[in-house]
Amino acid sequence: MKVKVTSIPVQDQEKALQFYTEILGFVKKLDVPLNEHSRWLTVVSKEEQDGVEILLEPGPIHFEPAKVYQKALYEAGIPYTQFNSNNVQQDYERLVKLGVEFSVKPTKMGTVKIAVFNDTCGNNIQIVEML
Amino acid sequence: MTYYFRQVSKTMNDCYPNKGQLDMVIGTRHYINNHFDKELKLDYLSKVRFTSKFHLIRLFKKYYGQTPKQYIIDKRIEKAKALLKNGLNITETCYNVGFDNPSSFSTLFKSRVGVSPNEFQKRATFIKSV
Repeated sequence: MKVKVTSIPVQDQEKALQFYTEILGFVKKLDVPLNEHSRWLTVVSKEEQDGVEILLEPGPIHFEPAKVYQKALYEAGIPYTQFNSNNVQQDYERLVKLGVEFSVKPTKMGTVKIAVFNDTCGNNIQIVEML
Repeated sequence: MTYYFRQVSKTMNDCYPNKGQLDMVIGTRHYINNHFDKELKLDYLSKVRFTSKFHLIRLFKKYYGQTPKQYIIDKRIEKAKALLKNGLNITETCYNVGFDNPSSFSTLFKSRVGVSPNEFQKRATFIKSV
C-alpha cells in the first residue's frame, strides 16, 4: 500500500480551492464532478507535484458528525494537519501580507519551529520547520 | 490563548528543558545537512561538542526520532531524487550524494522509493514532457 491521498474537510470546496492555490501556492491536480454539490478535488505541493495529494473533501457539509468534529478542533486551536516549511518566519510574513490570520505566531518548540493559521474553510493548519 | 497553544507550551517545558542538549542535536543536524554528500565524521563532531559519539547518536534519536545514519540516508535519497529529475545519470548521482557504490545505491534507492533510479528517472522525464 502507498500513501497517495490525504484529506482535509472543507466547508466550501470552491473557496478552499482558491485559498489552497492562490494563497498557499498549491497546484490543482484532479477535479472530478461527483454530483451537483461535490467534486473529487485534490491539490499538490508546487515543488512536489508527484507527491501526496490533498483531497479538499466537503464532509462538514454533508455529514453532521464531521461538522461537529471540525468545529471542536477549530475552537480548541488544534491543527487539522500540518505542512512542512523551509522557513516558517518567511512563510508567516508572506501569508500575513495576504491577509491570513495566525492563532500561533512563529514559535520555537525544541527541534522545530511552528506556526498555526486559519485556512478560512473551518480548519487550523500548522506549518513546521525542522531546526 | 488557545487550548492548543497551552498544550504546546506545556510540551515545550516537559520535553525540551535541556538547552545544551538541544543545541547539540540541532548543531549536529546542521552539520549533516551541510556535509551529507561527503564522508561524515561524527567522531569529529562529538569531540567538538565534548561528548561521546554514542551519546550524540542517542540524543539525536531522542530529539529527531531517527538515528543520524537514518537521517543521512534520507537526505541522500531526497537529493538523489532531485538530481535524477534534473537528468544526472545514476553513477554521477550516486557519487554526488555521498554513496560510493552505484549498485548498492540502486538497491537502497529502490527499497526506499519503490522503483529503481532508472525507472524513477524515466517517469520523471515522462511527467516533464507531458
